[in-house]
Amino acid sequence: MYKLFLTLRYLRKRRIAYFAIAAVLLCTAMVLIVMSVMGGFLDQLKFKARGLLGDIIVDNKSYSGFPLYEEFIADIAQWPEIQIATPVLYSFGLLRFQDTAQTHTVRVVGVRLEEVYEVNAFKHGLYYEKYYPGTTTLAEQQQPVIGVDLNAEPIELKDNKGEVIGRGARPLLPPPYEAALQKSWAAGVRDDETPPTEWTEICRDANIPIIVGEHEVDPLHPPALTGDPWPGLIIGRDIIAKRLADGTYKRYSMYPRGCIVTLTMIPTTGGGSVDTPIKQPFRYADDSRTGIYEIDSQHVYCDFALLQKLLHMDQAERVDPESGAVVGTVPARCSQIQIKIHESVGGRPVNVKAVAQRLQEHYLSYATNPRFKLSIGDTQLVEYVEAMTWEESQSHIIAPVEKERQLVTILFAIISLVAAVLVLCILYMIVLQKTRDIGIIKAIGGSSGGVALIFISYGAAVGIVGSTLGTVLGYYFVRYINPFQDWLTRVNPAWQVWDRSVYSFDEIPHTVRGHDMIAVIVAAIAASTLGSLLAAWRAGAMQPVEALRHE
Amino acid sequence: MSSSLLVAQGVQKTYVMGRVQLRVLRGCDLRVAPGEFVAIMGKSGSGKSTLLHILGALDVPQAGQVLFHDEPVFAPPGRRRFATSALDVLYGYERRRIRYRRFAFGFVFQFYHLLPELNVLENVLLARMVGASTFVWSRQRARARADTLAVLGHMGLAERLRHRPAELSGGERQRVAIARALVHKPQILFADEPTGNLDAAAGAELMSLIKGLHAEGQTIVMVTHDPTVAGQADRILRLEEGQLRQV
Repeated sequence: MYKLFLTLRYLRKRRIAYFAIAAVLLCTAMVLIVMSVMGGFLDQLKFKARGLLGDIIVDNKSYSGFPLYEEFIADIAQWPEIQIATPVLYSFGLLRFQDTAQTHTVRVVGVRLEEVYEVNAFKHGLYYEKYYPGTTTLAEQQQPVIGVDLNAEPIELKDNKGEVIGRGARPLLPPPYEAALQKSWAAGVRDDETPPTEWTEICRDANIPIIVGEHEVDPLHPPALTGDPWPGLIIGRDIIAKRLADGTYKRYSMYPRGCIVTLTMIPTTGGGSVDTPIKQPFRYADDSRTGIYEIDSQHVYCDFALLQKLLHMDQAERVDPESGAVVGTVPARCSQIQIKIHESVGGRPVNVKAVAQRLQEHYLSYATNPRFKLSIGDTQLVEYVEAMTWEESQSHIIAPVEKERQLVTILFAIISLVAAVLVLCILYMIVLQKTRDIGIIKAIGGSSGGVALIFISYGAAVGIVGSTLGTVLGYYFVRYINPFQDWLTRVNPAWQVWDRSVYSFDEIPHTVRGHDMIAVIVAAIAASTLGSLLAAWRAGAMQPVEALRHE
Repeated sequence: MSSSLLVAQGVQKTYVMGRVQLRVLRGCDLRVAPGEFVAIMGKSGSGKSTLLHILGALDVPQAGQVLFHDEPVFAPPGRRRFATSALDVLYGYERRRIRYRRFAFGFVFQFYHLLPELNVLENVLLARMVGASTFVWSRQRARARADTLAVLGHMGLAERLRHRPAELSGGERQRVAIARALVHKPQILFADEPTGNLDAAAGAELMSLIKGLHAEGQTIVMVTHDPTVAGQADRILRLEEGQLRQV
């Protein structure tokens, strides 16, 4: 009983122990922050990868793509595990906004939009689709121009106090867009991704639905769809807007919805040789945000069939180069097939890996299937096709991050041993200071083990208090790490510690996992207790008389 | 069987300081009967405190033995190479000494030796706490507290319970030390120069307290260099050249 009593008393009265507690606190917080950020980074990576790719990816990692995807998709559509599969095309291009000299090298992704909506989380990252549901399309389209309703009553513009400061014609979008906006407005959807602009303030003052986004405006005519129809293009948000420190995106009036952008791309033949560059105008239909900066700052999305045609990857006649006669067909190609599977079939969970294996076997069987009559080149493209789970497909990114997380955690844990050494030093110092007290305790009947246990308990108590406070500090630091970094950036832009272009994600991951917290607390208490062993041994081994004579 | 409570037989103690060997005790013999008040006198450095520490099981002699109720306090000399060696623990002598210090012996030191972080009540209560496990303490706590308050009241410290040692006078501190030594009702009270650090008035007051304890039947072994203080005892022994002689 006296051991606990003296441990608690020394903990309260010996202020030097506060330094040991502070050391344990800081080390615990440090390790927890590192584990949480790195763990969160990994989780985010996995989550985003899955959201972007679907459950299984069929790919041959060739710029030339692979054939027979339509047949494959038709075949596997019969499988009970398969929910939906969609082909995707990847290419590279040069993006240029009309009337500007601004160009970007981009990765062009050809998608079937409606299918991609079902396979992955792409739809949730679209900006205009959120506020104008059903209006984002990759088909040919004209530019929507905001006009005015000349027949309607003028609207009153009010100041902050609600007093009328003027009157004006009511701004309106062309019918499909206006209807979609009214629908989302009625559903309570509000734009929290864009900072207020003069335009949104006018709408607010006039008490009319805020016309979200940037549009061409013609204040003298009714709303209209203008210009030549061009295919739609979805652009990565970090290409077209600027992310601010508070996480919102500033949009530019020079890039209104429906403005013309031009893509220049280089097609390749099935054999891999480069063809003449092609140039294609598009209309800016929407912008996408996946949360991975490398994607959002580089990817643009257009219609699969159009891109296939532009890249000469659609079905074509095979011509004999010597005779010029048509000798067959060159099958259409895609770069990837993204597949979403059901979570369970017949009440039993689906084994994604096993399905991927079966898909690969099924596709590889095409190479020797006589019904397809593939050329040697196409057969080679088929033979290189792999079916991978989303996790396997991203293993080149996930595995190094996993290793990095372990390495950094181990490094910081080693650094944290400093706290154990500090506990050792401080407790040893306390033992030296308390030598006479130890003699007194032994003189009144304290045993060597009992005295040693006082200091072991002391070390453990320092660990418990320090690690508990450190966990609380670490938890709240991680929880508010992004506002903290935003604040730092506002105070001094040079203090921005999280560079989105380096770390892929536009926010510092902040997942605090329960088992991480428990592991850190247990390790801190163990380290602190270990740090107390030498001091405890010294205290326990003291002879009562020698201790009492200590000056 | 003897009628002596405590017996010392041929106790020897040598301090090794570098190349110098200082033979402090060269075969001390002593018998203390129950209820007896024995004073041991000697010059400074003569080994009085060392002898008292050995008698009180705080130190270990190189040769000789101490018997308490005819029970040896130390292991046989051949197994006594280290003060608290593994063998000593194994044979139970260290445990036995701990038991004596907890329940049978009480110590009063010249420099009080109170724990500065604890107040008067806690310093005294600690002596009761040491001998109890958490379970036992939970059952004995109220009684131990009552005993402690009674002893402190007896020492005239009832008003000073919450004071820390630094807030007390020398005489008061020594009375706290006596209370701590008495709270578990020891069979022998060992006092090492109890008045050595006190002024004359406080010393006299303390000695009358010790006399009172003796009158109540308390066995006391006291070390002092002051003949006046020693004169209060039933029997006075002088430690000279490492041996005890009757005065």
